[in-house]
Amino acid sequence: MLWIKNAHLIDPANRITGRGSLLAREGRIVKVVVGEELSPAAVTAFLGCAGLGEVTVVDGSGKYLFPGLIDVHAHLREPGEEEKEEVRSGARAAVRGGFTSVLAMANTRPVIDTRALVEYVRLQGERAGKARVYPVAAVTKGMDGRELTEMADLKAGGAVAFSDDGKGIQSAEVMRLALEYAKLTGCPVISHCEDENLAGAGVMRKGETSVRLGLRGIPASAESVMVARDALLAKETGGRLHLAHVSTKESLRLIRTAKAAGVDLTAEVNPHHLLFTDEDVPLTGTCYKVNPPLPSREDQAALLEGLLDGAIDMLATDHAPHTWEEKAKPFAEASFGINGLETALAAVWQELVAKGKLTPEKLVELWAVNPARRFGLPGGTLAEGAPADLVLFDPAWREVVTAETMESKSHNTPFLGRELQGFPVMVWVGGQLVMKDRKVLS
Amino acid sequence: MEWRHRHLLGMADLTAAEIKFVLETAGPMKELLRRPVKKEAVLRGKTIALMFYENSTRTRTSFETAGKILGADVTNFSVAQSSVNKGESLYDTAKTLQAMAIDLVVIRHASSGAAAFLARELKAAVINGGDGEHAHPTQALLDFFTLKEKLGSLTGRKIVIVGDILHSRVARSNALGLKKLGAEVVLVGPPTLLPPEMGSLGVKISYDLDRELPGADAVMALRLQLERQARGLFPSVREYHRLYGLTKERLGKTGKETIVLHPGPINRGVEIASDLADSACSVIEEQVTNGVAVRMALLYLMLGGGRNLALD
Repeated sequence: MLWIKNAHLIDPANRITGRGSLLAREGRIVKVVVGEELSPAAVTAFLGCAGLGEVTVVDGSGKYLFPGLIDVHAHLREPGEEEKEEVRSGARAAVRGGFTSVLAMANTRPVIDTRALVEYVRLQGERAGKARVYPVAAVTKGMDGRELTEMADLKAGGAVAFSDDGKGIQSAEVMRLALEYAKLTGCPVISHCEDENLAGAGVMRKGETSVRLGLRGIPASAESVMVARDALLAKETGGRLHLAHVSTKESLRLIRTAKAAGVDLTAEVNPHHLLFTDEDVPLTGTCYKVNPPLPSREDQAALLEGLLDGAIDMLATDHAPHTWEEKAKPFAEASFGINGLETALAAVWQELVAKGKLTPEKLVELWAVNPARRFGLPGGTLAEGAPADLVLFDPAWREVVTAETMESKSHNTPFLGRELQGFPVMVWVGGQLVMKDRKVLS
Repeated sequence: MEWRHRHLLGMADLTAAEIKFVLETAGPMKELLRRPVKKEAVLRGKTIALMFYENSTRTRTSFETAGKILGADVTNFSVAQSSVNKGESLYDTAKTLQAMAIDLVVIRHASSGAAAFLARELKAAVINGGDGEHAHPTQALLDFFTLKEKLGSLTGRKIVIVGDILHSRVARSNALGLKKLGAEVVLVGPPTLLPPEMGSLGVKISYDLDRELPGADAVMALRLQLERQARGLFPSVREYHRLYGLTKERLGKTGKETIVLHPGPINRGVEIASDLADSACSVIEEQVTNGVAVRMALLYLMLGGGRNLALD
């Protein structure tokens, strides 16, 4: 049994924000009280216990209590690329970063395109016993963009969404069929919007910096033409569409138009697209190499605006671990991807929340409430009866990001060696304490 | 003046004064080249490794000649025969060179930033012999040397660079450096090979060669990679030559004595007509000679103590 007191509780799902107490037992939230002190007698009454002796009391003074954050976009690399990440290390990295649920993308080796593989990922998540791991299954067999997977069976095995993320579905007809067929499951199709012809051999956003560095540019249109296509297809089919890693202002404009037309569409933005631009990319800085590439300053401003006005529904890390060897190369040859689970919340807090660009309430809405709703997941709220997936967040905690302290098997983050302020200090999943004082409990 | 840079990675790192310092040092080096006995011992005991991951006869031979004249030991790290073909990474190749205590490495590589990558990993000095589409600083320096020899000061001089600007490290390094030297630079090419963002380098960009030629003191043609046609970047050699090919007749539009440069190797009849390439206004062969002199100057400055007094 758990009593967290004196923390600033934030639960946008129930319009709660304020200092108070949260009580939990048997893995679920029992009572939330804001604006008044709870007496020990009231606590024991709510928890139905004889005395406080059975209750773990946590003083959350000066800290926030969020529902556990839900990251809808993580590459946990298992099976097949365990040298980069495993479900276990990814689930540990997740809770260290404040995420109590993660969606594991399907672009593993082999691709998650059969029920056995979906169940394997889910089981590995259960074995890890840290963040809840929800498998995303591929849209097409082998992610080759041609034949649809057995979506009904995959859902029965535990898939919560379908995506060929890592690769855009180039055939419009296949995408149309996917949106149509996925209606059987009620699960969203997550689109990685990238036209491979336009992206070509590009390695960063096409612009002044790419031209100056002599690095092949990816035009913004490589993403936006696919956003337009998929929005039209979702409208026509009535399918459920979620857009991964939106990064251009044109995409934003298309999303607004589509939403106004009633398309069943949601969209996510990755923190690195909000925090860095193409101008930050140094010639040898392969930790900044990511797909979609870091946006222009103008695109970035549009992304933040979309985040605030509801055009963008959620934040997601696109956690993409890569080994040191894959990044210790000339820029054009290095792998795309940024490691995000352990730094994303802290970085967004430091750069956007602490600077007043984003309220803590909006942050939780974007990273817990909306993801839970869109993907039909438990959690995302401090409502009574909800699972006790909780994050105690200390806005004053400062920490230098180091390879030694990271739980992820990879360290490909621009924040490596940098200090960030504002970290989760205690995390519970289903009422179980899994992280304390920045250390994941074994 | 003293040379302060450990590496030479691109024009962006050099000031106008430093560029001039290299060019001034190259002057006496060119004298040395004209002597009957072309040998000095200033770099005796120094080792230079040439790592050419891309085919290049001109630049590699130029560096090799420059190093040998100054008495250095020059090793050709030929990619075809090396462990690079066995899948050794650039990082491990760097470690190997490090272990051999090489003093200076010249690298030519298809990836932009390869030289900077090597410089970060190595204790040895690194000269960028051309990295991807990023930079080719020694080519730019030899071009400046040639231009100054013919035109004197470059301040206010109009230099037109025409061709596949998008993929050209030569164009980038020239544009950056020429701006620093006070020249007026115009980049010309078809829109598909000339991104408008190039304007951010502080140079004029134009699609119309004939309109830019009047008043030009020098025109530099770039090599057109014919395989770009297959990627749809230009429709035909015929149309390219008609719009951007340098001919004697077209050069007449400058209205003055204009010199013609080309980094080589040239596609005769594509970016430049044969008779023009072989004419008196062409300085293409002198560029090659000056390339050796400029590279001697750089090797000397980077390995020989950083002063050019010894040769004065």
